[in-house]
This record gives sequence, structure tokens and C-alpha cells, in this order.
Amino acid sequence: MGEPLELTLEELRERIKAAGITIADHRLGMVRKLLSDALVQVRALDSRTIKTVEPAVRFQGGRHE
Amino acid sequence: MSDAIAYSTIRELGARYRKRELSPVEVTRVLLARIEKLDPALNAFVTLTADRALADARAAEELLRRGDDRPLLGIPIAHKDIYCTRGIRTTGGSALLADWVPDVESTCGRRWQDAGTVLLGKLITHEFAMGLQFPGHRFPPARNPWNVNHIPGGSSSGSGAALAAGLVHGATGSDTGGSIRGPASFCGIVGLKPTYGRSSRAGVLTLSWTLDHTGPMARTVEDCALLLQPLAGHDPLDPASSLAPVDDYTAPLGRDVRGLRVGVIRNYFFEGVDPEVERAFEEAMATLRRLGADVRDVQIPSLKATHSFLLILLAEAYAYHERDLREHPELYGDVLRERFLAGALVTAAEYVQAQRIRSEICRETAEVLRDVDVLATPTSPKPATPFAQAHDPEFGFPRSNMPPFNITGSPTLALPCGFSASGLPLSLQLAGRPFDEATVLRVGHAYEQATSWHTRRPPV
Repeated sequence: MGEPLELTLEELRERIKAAGITIADHRLGMVRKLLSDALVQVRALDSRTIKTVEPAVRFQGGRHE
Repeated sequence: MSDAIAYSTIRELGARYRKRELSPVEVTRVLLARIEKLDPALNAFVTLTADRALADARAAEELLRRGDDRPLLGIPIAHKDIYCTRGIRTTGGSALLADWVPDVESTCGRRWQDAGTVLLGKLITHEFAMGLQFPGHRFPPARNPWNVNHIPGGSSSGSGAALAAGLVHGATGSDTGGSIRGPASFCGIVGLKPTYGRSSRAGVLTLSWTLDHTGPMARTVEDCALLLQPLAGHDPLDPASSLAPVDDYTAPLGRDVRGLRVGVIRNYFFEGVDPEVERAFEEAMATLRRLGADVRDVQIPSLKATHSFLLILLAEAYAYHERDLREHPELYGDVLRERFLAGALVTAAEYVQAQRIRSEICRETAEVLRDVDVLATPTSPKPATPFAQAHDPEFGFPRSNMPPFNITGSPTLALPCGFSASGLPLSLQLAGRPFDEATVLRVGHAYEQATSWHTRRPPV
């Protein structure tokens, strides 16, 4: 995975720019915490291995030696 | 006299109506006077419909004279202010809709009206069912009748406060992450979040389509069952509405719980639980054991990922509010505006992964519910929060015991199970199999009848 579990302030600013919205500077900390907390489990997930209800063929990508 | 009428159960009121000991007009006048006296300190009502209430009461009186025996006839109720009421202001607790008068009635509102209820008015909600009103907001927040310095829970805050203070006999609530059960827990009343699809969402302001539930709030389990009855059933106006047959919800009340299997989910629900809450919960389990229930521990490991449900909620809420957030951001409450905007920052992939996690929680919960009849947990890990803490913008979304059953859509009941040393109510949460509200109500009723928590009144 390699993705940090915590949403950084820099990443938050990038997302705000991409979404084309404005969030007041004094609320950035609150929004970062809100999203970070909600994202922790999703970021901890390896989407290739999660056992879910819907069918999903599993594969191992990349180089095979 | 006022207290006795105000805190009567729905069945007691109906019985006295039919013996001609009381009339709906008399009860309505008592409640209107009580609202006038108590509500300035509680802020439960955002709109009072006194003329409409008296007209409804007179109509009910006439029907009673003709022998109409419907159980909700002449029963005073009020709606959470996200339920559209035709010709009556519906604010959503927001400055954005401060003067909005819808030309439609919610299906739930129409069904209670058709059942003969008396509409007392509209009850304040957290803004758009999510944002506690901060100081300076267009609408002040409701206060907890057990201690006005504490929140009554949300988002059905006015519903919880009005019921606890004896201002109404029934109220609607909505529940996306605990908004029926939270106020029930903090206000010492009973709230039922029915199965997703059991009670219509048509004509109710949306927070999050795949998590929103509508349902009744009352002071006893039987009152909740009586109020659920007309709400349950297919509504073509709500695409998620189920065609599943509707049970008689009062029929199983009074049946014992001997042999019923109660599963206590030992993971997730006890993290950070206040010792007083845990003690009250264990005593409730001991009571159920004494009543003959088979109480056993169970595990649902995937619940550790519950908090990801917020990604679903935020993304769906943003989709609903996007245009108004862009055009009138200043009309959204401080903090709520930024929370809704956060939904714009959830990526499509994250939303899908959160839904995949949800599928896993649903699958594991269904598996556990093959071995037990109901699940039991503390409703809230702590008693009601003080306003001083809740009004800190950084307070955020504390870990909660209620969202797991919005994720699964399971029927879930919250009912009183004790009090903290500081006099705040504590609550027991019972969840069941899809569309098996009857068993959840049966277990809740058996517990309630074996205890007296529901008979305590706040110092209003």
C-alpha cells in the first residue's frame, strides 16, 4: 500500500483545489481530522485482499519472477 | 393533573378517551399550556401549531363519539422539522429554509394524520439532521430536560427533549448515524430505528440516502410499537421502501423472553465506554437472564471499520447540498458548512471502498443473527455531553455505538436502562434481524416492564 494513514494538510489542500471549493483556513484542521478519522480504515485496507460480498477475481499484479 | 396527563401512555389516554374521562381537546389544551410554560427553557419546538392541534383534537373527539377505536386517535404528536408539512413551515433547523412552507406532506406525517393524531407542531432538529446549532445560529438548539446544560442528543433533539419533558406523546425522528437513538439515550426515552425500507423517507429532508431511516420516538416501548404500526408498509414514493409484510407490533408485547437468544457484541461497543454505562448495561443483561433469556457473547470483527461509514455519509450529504453550498454557503451553520464541504473531498474510490467495508459488516452481522435473536449493546458509550464540550468545533464525531446498525439497516431500539451518578439517563440498544421489529420490541418491552427507569421524570 505505502499510503500514509493520516491525511496531511498538504493533501487536504490539493483535494480542496481539485474539488473547486473553498474552506476557511481556521477550519482546515477540523476538516483534516474529520476526513483522516473516516479514512483510516479505508487506507489500511488492501483492496486486493478484502473479503467482500461482491465477486472479485483476485490477482497479483507486477513482475513475476 | 397536568403531569399525569402529560406522562400518560398512549394506551392510557385512549382508554380514558373511551370512558369519557378525558377528551383530546382537554389533553391538547394541557399540553399547549405546558409547552408555553416549559419550552422557553428547552427550545424543543421551532413551530407551534396550536390552531391546527385544536382542530385535530375536535375532529378526533367527534370520531370518538362515533365509536372510532383506532389507537392513535386524539394522540398529540409533533414532527422533527425535517419532515415536510403541507402549509406549515419546515426549517430543517437551518437559516437556508427559515421561511420555507412546503406544499407536500411527508408520507409518515400523512399516515399519522390518517391515524387520527393531533399535530402540536414542529420540533427543532440539528441543522439538516447533522449540525448542532452553535451560538448565534438562526435557531437555538434544544436543551436536555434532565440538565439544560447538556445536549439532548441529536439530530432529533427537539423530539427527545419534548418527550422527556412531557410536551408530546409521540414524535417522529430520523436516524442516519444514531439520530433517533442518541436523543432517546440522552433524554431517557424510547426510540426505534426500524429496518431500512420499513418506514418511508418520502417528504423528509435527506442527509444520506443509503443510511437515512425514519421512525418513531416515545416514552415507552408499547407507545413506540403503536406509533410504528401506521408508519410501516410500502410507499411507492420511496424507492427504498420494502414490500415485506407488516407485523402486528403490539401483539408480541407481554410475551415472555424465555429461550430467546441475546447476543452481546463484545468487540467495538465497549471501547471507551464509561464505567457507569457498562455497569448499567451488565445489570440489564442480568435482568434479561432472570427473565429467561439466553444471553451470550458474540463477535463481529469487521465492526472495527465502522467509522468509514462517515465517508458514505459525507459524500452523499455533499451530493444533496452541493448547489446550495456553492450558492448560499453563508446560510449554513458554522462548522456544519465545512463538514458538508468535506464530502466533496471524498474520492470515488474511497466511497466505493467504504461501501465494500459496509458489505462485509452486513455479512458478518447477518451471520451472527443466525445464532441469536437480538443483539444488545450500550446505546451510547457516555451520558449526555455538556454544551460547553459539544460547542467546541474540534469536538468532531466521537466514536459512537449507533452507526453499525445504520450500516446494516437493522431494526434497532434504544430504551432507558439506568442513570448516571449525576442524574443523566443511560440507555440499552437492541438490534434484530431485518424486518423483525416485533422481536426487538418484545425483548425491549420485557426488560422495560421488569424495571422502572421509564417511569422517572426530569426536574422540569
